[in-house]
Amino acid sequence: MSQTESQDIETATTSLQTTSVAPDNKTRRYDRQLRLWASSGQAALESSKILVISGSGTSASVLKNLVLPGIGHFTILDPHKVTEADIGSNFFLETESVGKYKAEEEVRLLKELNDGVEGVANTSDLATILKNDPTYLTSFTLLIAHNLHPELLEQLSSLLRSDPFHPPLIVVRSAGFLAEFFIQFHEHTIIDSHSETPPSLRIDKPFPALLDHALSLDLSKLDPTDHGHIPYIVILVKAAHEWKASHDGRVPKTTEERKEFKKYLQSLRVKADEENFEEAEAQAYRVWAVTNVPSEISSLFNDPILANLTPTSPPFFHLLAALKTYTEKEPHTLPLSATLPDIKSDTTNYIHLQNLYKRRAEEEKEEFTKILVANPVQPQTPIDKGLIDEFVRNSHGLKVLRGEKWRAVDQDSARLKEASQSYPSHTAIHLAFSAMAALELKGVQVDHTTPAEDLKSEAAKIYGPFEEIEEEIDNAIAELLRAPNADLPTTAAFLGGLVAQEAIKIITKQYVPVKGYCVIDLISSTTSVIGA
Amino acid sequence: MPRSSHALAILGSGLYSKLPETRVLLVGAGGIGCELLKNLVLTGFGDITLLDLDTIDLSNLNRQFLFRKKDVKQSKALIAAKTASAFNPAVKITPIHANIKDADYDVDWFSQFDIVLNALDNLDARRHVNKMCLAANVPLVESGTAGYLGQVQPLLKNVTECFDCLPKPTPKTFPVCTIRSTPSQPIHSIVWAKSYLMPQLFGEDEEDGGTELDDAEKQGENADEIASLRAQAAAFKSVRLALRDSTPLEEAARKAFEKVFFHDVKTLLSMADMWKSRKPPLPLNYDEITQVAASSAKENGSSPSVNLRDQKQLSLAECLELFIASSCRLALRLRSGEDTISFDKDDDDALDFVCASSNLRSFSYSIPTKSRWEVKEMAGNIIPAIATTNAIVSGLIVLQALHLLRISYFASKATPPTATLRNVNIQFKPSAPLGASRIVPPNPSCGVCRDTYTTVHCDPSKTLLREVIDGILGDGDGVGTGPREVSTYEDKRVLSDPDFDDNLDRTLESLGVTRGKFLTITDEDGDWATLAISICLLPKDHPVDGPHLILPSPTPIPPRKVKAAPASLKRPADDDDGIEISEGPVTKKARTNGTSPPHLNGNGNGTKTFLTKSPSKKQILEDEGLIIVDKDDDVIIIED
Ligand SMILES: [Zn+2]
Repeated sequence: MSQTESQDIETATTSLQTTSVAPDNKTRRYDRQLRLWASSGQAALESSKILVISGSGTSASVLKNLVLPGIGHFTILDPHKVTEADIGSNFFLETESVGKYKAEEEVRLLKELNDGVEGVANTSDLATILKNDPTYLTSFTLLIAHNLHPELLEQLSSLLRSDPFHPPLIVVRSAGFLAEFFIQFHEHTIIDSHSETPPSLRIDKPFPALLDHALSLDLSKLDPTDHGHIPYIVILVKAAHEWKASHDGRVPKTTEERKEFKKYLQSLRVKADEENFEEAEAQAYRVWAVTNVPSEISSLFNDPILANLTPTSPPFFHLLAALKTYTEKEPHTLPLSATLPDIKSDTTNYIHLQNLYKRRAEEEKEEFTKILVANPVQPQTPIDKGLIDEFVRNSHGLKVLRGEKWRAVDQDSARLKEASQSYPSHTAIHLAFSAMAALELKGVQVDHTTPAEDLKSEAAKIYGPFEEIEEEIDNAIAELLRAPNADLPTTAAFLGGLVAQEAIKIITKQYVPVKGYCVIDLISSTTSVIGA
Repeated sequence: MPRSSHALAILGSGLYSKLPETRVLLVGAGGIGCELLKNLVLTGFGDITLLDLDTIDLSNLNRQFLFRKKDVKQSKALIAAKTASAFNPAVKITPIHANIKDADYDVDWFSQFDIVLNALDNLDARRHVNKMCLAANVPLVESGTAGYLGQVQPLLKNVTECFDCLPKPTPKTFPVCTIRSTPSQPIHSIVWAKSYLMPQLFGEDEEDGGTELDDAEKQGENADEIASLRAQAAAFKSVRLALRDSTPLEEAARKAFEKVFFHDVKTLLSMADMWKSRKPPLPLNYDEITQVAASSAKENGSSPSVNLRDQKQLSLAECLELFIASSCRLALRLRSGEDTISFDKDDDDALDFVCASSNLRSFSYSIPTKSRWEVKEMAGNIIPAIATTNAIVSGLIVLQALHLLRISYFASKATPPTATLRNVNIQFKPSAPLGASRIVPPNPSCGVCRDTYTTVHCDPSKTLLREVIDGILGDGDGVGTGPREVSTYEDKRVLSDPDFDDNLDRTLESLGVTRGKFLTITDEDGDWATLAISICLLPKDHPVDGPHLILPSPTPIPPRKVKAAPASLKRPADDDDGIEISEGPVTKKARTNGTSPPHLNGNGNGTKTFLTKSPSKKQILEDEGLIIVDKDDDVIIIED
């Protein structure tokens, strides 16, 4: 290769590199998770501050799974120094760590996992902070406490419950192969729940442009290829319109009529094997299944916050108020979704239909936005277009969860009894943990020498007579007492995954988190959710 | 020792004291593998062999926590072992940077382990380990994740289902003409760019590229269309050359663009018949696009945030620009010594090229375009992956492994207690994060675990096929079932059947039945279960003058088949069915019309293969990436 040529190549490639649309290193690092929660979820993670109380193996496992995907900041709060017994069951401590502060050693090793994450060790003691500096605790996005003494836990959970703007708390308890966790939060709203139910195509209530398009087609005049490419949505809209014209404006109601309607669909085929018509027949129920506001969404309209909406209410509720007004108008549905499912069709027909849906969805979003800005109560700061977009796009999957205080379920034996009907052994495990906490609140140090009877009588105070779950209670207490304070690595690893997963759902406000006590029995590899 | 105190209390001293000597094979050092290795070390396992083929990529670091940025491009197995050993030097971790399907890892090698843990992400390797564990009779824990979902399955021969007892979903198929001439969806453009255009321009020079078309012509496909495809193929030669010789880079790239997006489209358009009921594609004119781009360049002033750069929909002009730029970069790599470049989702140049060319094709055919982000997911079959799911799965794997070991160490082999074994799913339900079910017994018609496994040790260069068959069938009087009518296979290749004995006096080596492979013997009348014979080498201390073949002792007798249904590997009946002639895994397909399939001696190799009618065989072909499409009666390779 001549020198001029190689220079050519060099200059050529330097300019060429700039034309790549390859993402930056950060996007690359997070590529596989961005496909789950998108850049909005990643931004929420990166601005979060997590406080983890206790430097146990389980705590470190949870943190590992939060540091890797890139939370903004974490603090480990633990006043203890590393002992011989801590080494070996905690991957984020080393032999040389013995005698040093646990929090400091773990922060150092956890930070190695991701240099984009800030980590801080706090070696003071929770009791002192609760007394002297509670605002420190409430300044975090989320708190996670593992095997914390119930007395401190009680104070902490009361503090965080005392104001609706205080952060949520995940309480984690584990002993050997048994574990449970509980998420204490005030109110958790989710716009993008990643709902698995697709939004309605509104075939029963076709919007004007869709109806016009369907009626403009004369199926009998199409050549056979085109005939086989008409999307089933169009076929159904047209067929339903024609059916209604000859049936006093009614859709097929009785089984007989529905069979007849399907026969009518069959009669429209020009070839026996037209896949689009097969699809139309399979989807025919969409003609008589009425599209209205799903009950899970309309029930949100009764939310007390809507009745007392103020400029400082969260944007979610301003949007919800607009949605309520929107659905009170014709056609009494949620705003149309622009996404179409996979359909047997060709490109031209599919794109035409997609454009019809897109345009209409855009119009309905405009309509929604008009209602939003006309709400009698306006938010302090106007809601940005991106959020409106997201809200409208996901309006069929909106969620509002209201939480309760840690241990609230233990004051309600009726709910425990109900849980024990469905999940006897897991309810028993929960009761064993609650009994252990009750003993500890009395100043008893629970270990493998604690008499089972002591735990059993505490459990009975919470639950009442055991009746049919007595055997489960005995088993759970026996298992718990084998190693009530053991932080087993396998359990820590498992729990680290499960709890971090829930923490990510809470922080990103995407996907639906566990509500109630999630009780885990790793001997049988089972989980149940109690008191949801 | 304080390290052990918790585990000892929970596991009990019996099992716990066994863990240091338990020999564990961990296959895969990726997301699950890293977690699992850590868990094994913490739980008290003391002898772990870790095997992985891959090197570390930046996109691994969001979950594969034993790796750091400085480790990128290094062997996963080696780095993972190094990081985990530092934690507890007392644990012996043996890393192997290799493919688990290599001949070295034969049944003898698998037999040394007490338990195998799969932490793999591809179906092919998972099936392979499943089969090896059945042959070596080693318990296996199977696992997998996809986003928030995951699954763990303990597998114990003759007790539980095997990995293949339930059919696995088959990949999507596309008729070849849809890909080559009449795409209608974004995925068609992407498959075309990745599996057709990229190899055509930057892949191996296909000397016999025309034979596929010759075959198609013989089969009476549209002669005009074939002639045009043939002309297209010839024109590729000059473009390939331009990309490789000293033609200025941009000129070569422009030549490629004009050939593919202008001339080839023009040629297709000349076949008026094709476009009677379809919207014809639009030829893309280089000068027009660049002129339009120049005049509108100032309109898009705002550049998107860095983070979302690859999620942007590219304009026609941007696609053209990206096509030229990425082609130049790829061509430069060829000129700097790379022989061929094939698609790799983590290769930016390749991904840019596939993104640009698939979108250009979509513009041409009025198909919606896709962002680079979306193209990557579709072309690279990317499955989302996060640390949390891997952590949950790995915790569950250790528990199932402990249950399996408790059975192998302490339980009666005849009636192992299976009450603690669970198939566990991590599911998408906030009301029940785990779904656990009791284990299921083997599927009686499974074509993998219902076979009778045995091993021969031999020198494949001296051992004849006949010797193995005769030795295994025995005399029926104390040894084996006695002589009977059988067919033999290696994988899908027929080596012999009752009417075809040419290969019986050839050596195993000459037939490609070598170390690590299986020789399968099926009963012609379907009376006996299939025998799967794994080929191992003679022991190291075997005397030079000793026999070249050591048969298993006692000779295994397969169970009698309950149903009289023909064996699934039987040759198809005479009808309009395809036959394959093959030496390797890739096949070319010819067609017979109502005549008996001839016995073919392909390429002097003497083997022949039938494409059988059995759906299970078809499935295997599909799983290996050979997609057979009825409509066009052709074969395209989508994914390997
Ligand atoms: Zn099987």
